[in-house]
Amino acid sequence: MATTVTNISDTKTEQPMPQGAKLYGLIAEFETPGDLMAAAEKCRDAGYKYWDCHTPFPVHGLDGAMGLKRTWLPWFVFGAGATGTTVAFLLQAFTNSWDLHIWAGVWVTGYPFLISGKPAMSLPAFIPVMFELTILFSALACVKLMFLFNGLPQLYHPLFKSNRFRRASNDRFFIAIEARDPKFLPKATEQFLRTLDPVAVEAVED
Amino acid sequence: MGHASTHAADLGTQNIQLPAMALGFRKIALAVAVVGLGGGAAVGYTGAFGTDPGHFWRAYLIAFLFGLTMCLGGLFFVFVQHLTRAGWSVAVRRPAEALAANLRWIWILFVPFAVLWMMGKANTLWVWADMNALRAENPVEAGLIDPKTAFLNPTFFWIRAVAYFAIWAVLSSFFFRSSVSQDESGDIKISERMQKFAAPTAILFGLSVTFAAFDWIMSLSPAWFSTMFGVYFFCGCATAGFATMILITVRLTQLGALKGIVSREHFQDMGKLMWAFGIVFWAYIGFSQYMLIWYANVPEETGWFLARQVGGWGFFSFALLFGHFVFPFLGLISKWMKRAPLTLALGAVWMLCFHYVDLYWLIMPEIPHDIGEMKNYGELATKYADTATHFTNPVNFMLVLGVVGAVVAGTIGTLSRVALVPKKDPRFAESLRFENM
Repeated sequence: MATTVTNISDTKTEQPMPQGAKLYGLIAEFETPGDLMAAAEKCRDAGYKYWDCHTPFPVHGLDGAMGLKRTWLPWFVFGAGATGTTVAFLLQAFTNSWDLHIWAGVWVTGYPFLISGKPAMSLPAFIPVMFELTILFSALACVKLMFLFNGLPQLYHPLFKSNRFRRASNDRFFIAIEARDPKFLPKATEQFLRTLDPVAVEAVED
Repeated sequence: MGHASTHAADLGTQNIQLPAMALGFRKIALAVAVVGLGGGAAVGYTGAFGTDPGHFWRAYLIAFLFGLTMCLGGLFFVFVQHLTRAGWSVAVRRPAEALAANLRWIWILFVPFAVLWMMGKANTLWVWADMNALRAENPVEAGLIDPKTAFLNPTFFWIRAVAYFAIWAVLSSFFFRSSVSQDESGDIKISERMQKFAAPTAILFGLSVTFAAFDWIMSLSPAWFSTMFGVYFFCGCATAGFATMILITVRLTQLGALKGIVSREHFQDMGKLMWAFGIVFWAYIGFSQYMLIWYANVPEETGWFLARQVGGWGFFSFALLFGHFVFPFLGLISKWMKRAPLTLALGAVWMLCFHYVDLYWLIMPEIPHDIGEMKNYGELATKYADTATHFTNPVNFMLVLGVVGAVVAGTIGTLSRVALVPKKDPRFAESLRFENM
């Protein structure tokens, strides 16, 4: 743990922090998704960047209220799917090849089998595998990249220190503004959060 | 975003009644129906554009099935919503109900086939209708079909046809009337009743659509068979039905109705259904059917696909693959394409065009009679290299526009008599609040 008062508190000295603790941020607690939504819109309009909402269940429309940008995930998933299709085709083309093929680039002799008199290079027979690998690659990429983009798995988070915050997984709705936000000033931000009409505002140490 | 729940929807007459402009469009649609069907019949029957009776009747069958699949797709949407107790779809259900309600009179468009039958010329389309003529002309094919005559005979064919039309009329009428009567009473029991009957409806719908596809399309090549054919035809119903629903809903919102009721969230979900059933599932089933037949390589089965590979049909098959699957798959995969009414409507029009191409590809090609005498595929391809598809013959378009005009006029007529939304459905509020994640 940090033992010195950080730059943030040094330059923004309205609220002295206890020695030996670094401020992670401020949390504001709300009772209903509607209150949270209205507050989130104000946070968005106030221009904060490093802040988040914490809810016990998915709240429709919160993305818009928070002003979240479109995710790039679909493009990666599409790319992964297209990769799957290509890989499946190449895999089958290589394994079915009789001899050197110019497109192969290397000398390959696969395991060609004569199946019901079909040519070794039979696209219709390849398509089921191409279809399956497309889905496999997209699904795996989707899940893994979703974890990566969200910074998961994350076993520890400073907000876990707050007893109040425990209700975020039960019946309360929270907005957390982090101290690293360029617009963050401990006192001003606290006052701002109070204008959002929360049940409570609390400082959380890092 | 996120505020649909904060203000109540405008249920004033202006907002949920058919805009006056649509009634003018109904007159145009009726005129198109009369001119298209009348002109198409006159031109096609006399052969003025060089069509023989075989082409003319097949073109009419395609046109009829195009209109029929639009309505069946509407019925599918309606009962699936009740089957799954869906909340999101209530705001866009009424157009689908009105579309399905055309199934009450669609049998009228099938009457010309009865006339054809009474003239004793049914074998222009369905060669099994006159087995004696077939035996004289093509004894090999007759030998293959003979064991099937227990099913493929005129009497049973017409009993089944009447049964399909009766089933569709009763089902569509039940859902339409129940839903409209709820507009008055708001009785929750009506919803429960529709949910209860949605399950048997699914069974009846599945069987009737499957067997109608066997009877009317697959038996055009009676020696051929594919157990997947019914599902393939069902995909066509979904394509046509969802695309038409999307176009109706987009048009209604353009005309200023359904403000604050139908949102981009609903468009996105209708787009998803069209994408999933009309594009991906269609390709999945179409390919599965092709691959099994290609792999097994049984002569009775492969002939059907060979007929769709020779001459102009080869290009046609690829056009279908790319136009009905690859391009719209990529074009509508993004959520934003489905949310914007303009791009979604363009996608729907595109899908309707390729649904027509699909039906044309199913119905128009004929398996060459001498296919069994060919030594290899090359010989067949050479001999039939000049096979033309006659796709651009105006008779095709006159007939299909005529049928579409009739269906559109019928739908607008139905919608003009009722509210545009099931306003007292217990899940109506849920539908207004609906948001995709």
